[in-house]
Amino acid sequence: MTLVHPEFAEELDRFGVDTALECFNCGTCAAICPLIYEHFPRKMVRYIQLGARDQILEHPEELWRCLHCGLCTQTCPREANPGEVILGLKRFVVDHWRRN
Amino acid sequence: MYSPRDIIEVIAGNVRKTRSPFAIPRSMVNTWWKKETLRSEGDALLFTGLMYQFIPYIEKSTSYLEKYEDTKLASLVRFAKYQPKRLSGIGLALMTPGEKKKQANEILRNIAKVLTRSDVDFYYKPKLDFYSGILLYDLGDQESFVEHAKFVSGKLKRAGVKKIITVDPHTTYALKVLYPKYTGESFEVKAYFELVNFSSSNGGGQVTLHDPCFYGRYLELSDAPRRALEKLGVKCVEVRNSGTFTNCCGGPAESISPSLSKEVMERRVEELRTTGAPIVAMCPICLGNLRKSGAEVEDLSAVIARCA
Ligand code: SF4
Ligand code: SF4
Repeated sequence: MTLVHPEFAEELDRFGVDTALECFNCGTCAAICPLIYEHFPRKMVRYIQLGARDQILEHPEELWRCLHCGLCTQTCPREANPGEVILGLKRFVVDHWRRN
Repeated sequence: MYSPRDIIEVIAGNVRKTRSPFAIPRSMVNTWWKKETLRSEGDALLFTGLMYQFIPYIEKSTSYLEKYEDTKLASLVRFAKYQPKRLSGIGLALMTPGEKKKQANEILRNIAKVLTRSDVDFYYKPKLDFYSGILLYDLGDQESFVEHAKFVSGKLKRAGVKKIITVDPHTTYALKVLYPKYTGESFEVKAYFELVNFSSSNGGGQVTLHDPCFYGRYLELSDAPRRALEKLGVKCVEVRNSGTFTNCCGGPAESISPSLSKEVMERRVEELRTTGAPIVAMCPICLGNLRKSGAEVEDLSAVIARCA
């Protein structure tokens, strides 16, 4: 069973992620991202909103496909900074690895 | 795809121990200045951040990564820390062709030439020229990045450095935006092409610029190289995705997934080729990656230096 962690968005604050809740899931970022598969990065932003911490930790490698090119951040209509959110998630995962 | 965890630990370990992501001593990597007569005092420090010097080594080590991606041998990356021959260290340095190292040095010599021609009061001190640590930041290893950035900014501060001239977008972003934020130290940072102030009639011709993500979007500096080229009579033929909407060259993914990197690069090269004009890059990562397509790609410094 997948556990939902409602406090996940807050936990990410210290990794520099504080805009994920701004996202209204329009999909602009996924449409413009050079990684043309599976709704990246929108899906990851959605995981944060849902508190789906375990989903992210199950397949964390996906985050490192992101080129940190910034196109998504540039075009997001809600200033949710999806590219920076992905970078923050990488920091969260690296921290998790180091602790375990 | 390689395990990001393994790649991060190899790179972070190298930077911690040697201050270089590839664990190659600085004296071996940074030799471009040896035949130059550069001043060691002046108004602004030329800071290469060693990225151009790293291109030949990156190419060599990623050629191994490319070969082994998604094979059983991929897991060996984890052991690169103990078996560094191909992925980092002196072994990699010895396997990297000298011709490529010369080409990288030529770019830096051109930049020095352009600054001199522009009467910029600059100086160079190899002892103060460090890798910025930007790859650690991009990979999400914030702790190692901040540790390294504090080491570098501390050295610069103690040497009394106030103004810095950079040569690549990644180092520029690190020094201009990240260092003040994470180390508390600020410098006045300018990319070398912002300082070009001569006109020439030797120019002419056309080029298509590939804006790197960091100059185009994060630093919004795309106008500066265009202004410099205009003064030299070189015409820029634009592609649709340029300036703040430039497309990535794919380079940043090359250590984690060479195949993904190639796919993104091929799409970008296809777009750049549509103009028919020679392609010009201004970042060592873009330059190396776009050239993998077989396309002729020149560095911006060469185009400007020809007119100097
Ligand atoms: S573009 Fe912005 S608002 Fe739209 S899905 Fe992506 S992050 Fe959310
Ligand atoms: S920053 Fe990452 S997620 Fe955003 S468009 Fe670029 S590759 Fe895609």
